[in-house]
Amino acid sequence: MSRPPPDPLYILRGSGAPVNTLHFYCGGDGPPLLYSGSGKGAVHVWNLNTRRAEQVLESHNSNSVIWLDTFDGSRSSLISQGRDMRLCLWDLSEGRSAVTDSLLTGAVGFCQCSLLESQPGSSLLAHPTQDMEEVSVVEMKSWTQVCSLRPDTKLGMLMSMKMWQADSGPVLCAGYEDGSIVLWDVSQRHPLSFLKPLPEPVMCLDVHVCSQKGISGSSEKILQSWTVDGQRTLQMHHSVQMTNPGVSQMRIRADGKILATAGWDNNIRVFGWKKLKPLAVLQHHTDAVNSVAFSDHQDPTQRLLAAGSKDQRISVWSIYNVVHRTNIDTREPLAVVEDLLSSSQPEGMGRAAVKGSLAMGI
Amino acid sequence: MGSVETECFLKLQVRSHLRTLSCSQERMELLHALRSLAGLLEDAEFTRTYYARALQVLVAKDWSKRLLHDHDKELERLWREMFLRGPAEPVLMTLLDAISSARCEVDRSSADSAQYREALIGQISALPSITSNQLRANTPEDLLPHRFYTLLAESILETLERTCQALRAGHDCSLSFISQLLGKVCIQGNGSYENPHNSINEGSNCPSGIFGTMAPRLSSLTRVDPLMQRVTQNLLEKVPERCMESVITGLVLSLKGPTAVSRLMGDLVLNNKKAQFVLTHKMLLQQYQHPSLLLKSVLGYLSLDSERRVLLKQVLRSVCQVWCNSSAVKHTCVEQQLYVTRALLLTVALLQNSEVQELRQELVQCMLGGVQCRLDSNIERIRRMGMVVGECLSQKLDTPGSQLQFQYESNEEIQELRSLMEYQAVEGEEPESDASNNLQPIVEASEVCAVPSQSITSLPVNDSDSELDSDDDLTPFDMSADQEKRISAPPRYVRDCLEGLMSEDAERFELSLQVAASLLRKNVTTTQEVSVQFCRVLLHLEDRYNTTLFLSLRQNAMVALTVTHVKPVVDYWTTEFFSLNYSLRQRLDILEVLALSAQELSEPIRSKQAAAQPIPEVVPPEQFDDITHWRHIVEKRIQSKTRRIGKGVTQPVKAAPNRFAPVAGCFFFPLLKNYDRPQTTFDLLGSDHLVLGRLLHTLGLLMHLAVNAPVASQMGRALLDFIWAVRFHTDQMVRRGVLFAVCSVFLGMHSENLLTDLGEDLMEARAWLADVAESDCDSDCRSLAMQSLVLLDRTLKAQLKIPEMKT
Repeated sequence: MSRPPPDPLYILRGSGAPVNTLHFYCGGDGPPLLYSGSGKGAVHVWNLNTRRAEQVLESHNSNSVIWLDTFDGSRSSLISQGRDMRLCLWDLSEGRSAVTDSLLTGAVGFCQCSLLESQPGSSLLAHPTQDMEEVSVVEMKSWTQVCSLRPDTKLGMLMSMKMWQADSGPVLCAGYEDGSIVLWDVSQRHPLSFLKPLPEPVMCLDVHVCSQKGISGSSEKILQSWTVDGQRTLQMHHSVQMTNPGVSQMRIRADGKILATAGWDNNIRVFGWKKLKPLAVLQHHTDAVNSVAFSDHQDPTQRLLAAGSKDQRISVWSIYNVVHRTNIDTREPLAVVEDLLSSSQPEGMGRAAVKGSLAMGI
Repeated sequence: MGSVETECFLKLQVRSHLRTLSCSQERMELLHALRSLAGLLEDAEFTRTYYARALQVLVAKDWSKRLLHDHDKELERLWREMFLRGPAEPVLMTLLDAISSARCEVDRSSADSAQYREALIGQISALPSITSNQLRANTPEDLLPHRFYTLLAESILETLERTCQALRAGHDCSLSFISQLLGKVCIQGNGSYENPHNSINEGSNCPSGIFGTMAPRLSSLTRVDPLMQRVTQNLLEKVPERCMESVITGLVLSLKGPTAVSRLMGDLVLNNKKAQFVLTHKMLLQQYQHPSLLLKSVLGYLSLDSERRVLLKQVLRSVCQVWCNSSAVKHTCVEQQLYVTRALLLTVALLQNSEVQELRQELVQCMLGGVQCRLDSNIERIRRMGMVVGECLSQKLDTPGSQLQFQYESNEEIQELRSLMEYQAVEGEEPESDASNNLQPIVEASEVCAVPSQSITSLPVNDSDSELDSDDDLTPFDMSADQEKRISAPPRYVRDCLEGLMSEDAERFELSLQVAASLLRKNVTTTQEVSVQFCRVLLHLEDRYNTTLFLSLRQNAMVALTVTHVKPVVDYWTTEFFSLNYSLRQRLDILEVLALSAQELSEPIRSKQAAAQPIPEVVPPEQFDDITHWRHIVEKRIQSKTRRIGKGVTQPVKAAPNRFAPVAGCFFFPLLKNYDRPQTTFDLLGSDHLVLGRLLHTLGLLMHLAVNAPVASQMGRALLDFIWAVRFHTDQMVRRGVLFAVCSVFLGMHSENLLTDLGEDLMEARAWLADVAESDCDSDCRSLAMQSLVLLDRTLKAQLKIPEMKT
């Protein structure tokens, strides 16, 4: 007989509104933090040791916050995206809570931005724009636009995206309204590959760079994973059927072992990443789960799973953490993938050259 | 004049000898007389005129004594010679006469007369009976019917073969004696019958009797010998008219396939009126006990020759006429209808396309009329028959775009009927079984089978990345809680449930329906407030969203309502049953709900404790180890090995009030009130006989459930009155309902009440039941009538005996 599913480790209450987005920060000094963005414009900074909100930032004119991330490798540099069509940069150091900069994107959709720190001090940000189909990639310091990516054919609204650094340069994977996924070469500004795994809009996608695989979910019951092969083309891989339709977000844990999905059916589902074997259904929330996030704690046993729901609560789980240590590559995923890519494509552009070109603002 | 003199001399001589033989005791005298008589056996005059007389003297009583006691070899030899060397017929006749000791008053002098022949044939064909009447258990094997008729068949076959030889040699032969004999044997019922011995040997119930031996031999002989065909046809033509039916039936039953029938019978059906009647009418339309193989043989036989095809068309017309006759559907039993249906389908299958076009009008009319009156029937089997025939005929008629299609569940009978449409007369012939031919493909098949199995096993296991790329190191958690999520919650209050049933939201509707029954039973007071309204909603509920188990859920809710608030709800049902604008389905639903509620009410309430299953002890999964477990196992073992002498006192059954008895009247009497007032949409005594049948059945059930209730005798009287009006209904279902109700009256009423309250009516009912048990066309009706007669007689007997014993 199989084990009963675990209960949450603890619950974070008090956000006072549906929790839209979550982001862990466990690096640096000080306690591990969890940032959460609510439907009423508040950003909570939760101390995971005391399990209390350390700070509450009122932002975006009480419009809902749909995306949060930290940048510059610092716990006090936060970027938030809100439904007021703005991106805000926060300085939280020394108890401050000041918006240092902001960018009016003009995007009215729900597409979350994607941040790529190509090298310390220089980050690329992909954000949706006023034009529903367009992705704009900007250099974060100066807000200078690196490129603008628009599909030639009509694919509908931009739904979700993820940018990462490949050996040849930054690559962006974008999901569109008609269910298609396009892999863009950011520096060359042209699409590399095109795939249409599902007929419904791509509600969410995630890519595990290390295993060169990604997955997308929609309003249907099926999750479809795909691979990014050496020629950087997308190919269908496994698929898995869920009991209830609808996924709002999914995340692959950094070690490439498990995948967590935030379901519209109030459940968090955990799958094995390699074969998409269903592993657990975590039932706690009483309303749709909006967001899931894995912590980036250095100690793999401390890597928690957090889920934010429309029922205003954040549940924190510890699942599949007691594993054989030998199996875990504790390096940063980015470093691993860079190794992989450089070994597979020796004749490709050198990493330094890419960075150089980026730094020159191409 | 010399002949006259010798005749006189012979007469005197024979007389003196016979006198000696019958009176004398002297051995020498007897020997002398016998010897001289034996010498006369060569004399034609003697054998013709005096032989039979001499034999009679010789079988007289003192002769049998003499032979048994004296053991005189010489005397016995001469006595035997007298019988064995003479002509066979008088010997046989005399011996059989002696056996049966009933002399036939036949004129011995005219041995060739028809009367004599008749008697002879009668004696031969009845030989087993005559002998076994005398010998009883000591009858020799050869004279038992099974063996005897096989022997007889063999001699007939031999005769026929000899006839063939004689005909080839240019002699003229007459087969009329054999024909008559065959006819006689068949008409006595020895033509063909099922034989248990044969069925064991051959694996199929092959008919035995005289044709059991003759038919296969004749079939194979006629295949190679055309002369034999003519002889056989001649033989059958000469069969006397009154025996024709039994001969043909026996022959066709024993033959396999129409081609054999055709070889043996030739154009008998065209030449012989009686044969034509039997084959084209009696076997098809009047009898229905034959297997469908016989139908195939007969109809195939008709289809094999162009001249006979005229008869086939004629058969089709008459079968069509019978099949589409609505009164036949009502008044014949299901088995016969099935038989006629088989005949119809076979005939249609044998028709060629040109003939179908020619008979199109008849076929279309038959199809439309017959299918319609079958679909009207209350019996599902008949309806299905109608549907199958409708489909098959419309397929055969091949009207583009207007082929009939019905929805029904297929069963064996349907499959069989459908398979008849593929029947071809030529394929009915069984092939000459050739063992070597049969063996060949089997061997090949097994070889063919062997090859792929090898190739399957030798397939390389090609699952390369399964080892490396699996999630096996992660054990899944229990995911049984992962259920389909429902958007809305089931209603928690009766009124919410009611609203949900009326809502347009499919999910809410479904949830409401699912919880309705349990909600209604739990919240008694609220239910009683809205019961009638709830009834109305449920009664008009339609399965708009294709809900699973819709009908049973709805019915459960209706029963729950009825049981929780009996009086008003039952009043509602009974008034609505007779009111306007309800579909048949709704009325039937009302009846079902009434019956089910009555049943629930009449059952005693079981105490909760007794009903509840003992909940097994919950063992936490961590403690599910050996230490806590072994004690359990040991205890179990001890329990199973221990024999307990006494189990203690069993708990006495607790008495509980019958909830149905006080309200039985409310259920029952309103249903009897309005049956004879036809509405525009509901005519119980007219076209809506389906509802009438169900109503009677429900009334019977209510009567049965009200057993021991004070009101039972009134109910019984009312029910019998009601039944009286409809007891001769044309529909079987209604009659079954009537008889069921009668049974329940006899069961439900106390016997003394039965006699005092019903009195005169009982006698009339008894006469009616006896009539039904004897002559109803439906077998269920007959058995039900029988049942009620037995019940009635038992109660009457019990009642009439008691006063006698007292006085």
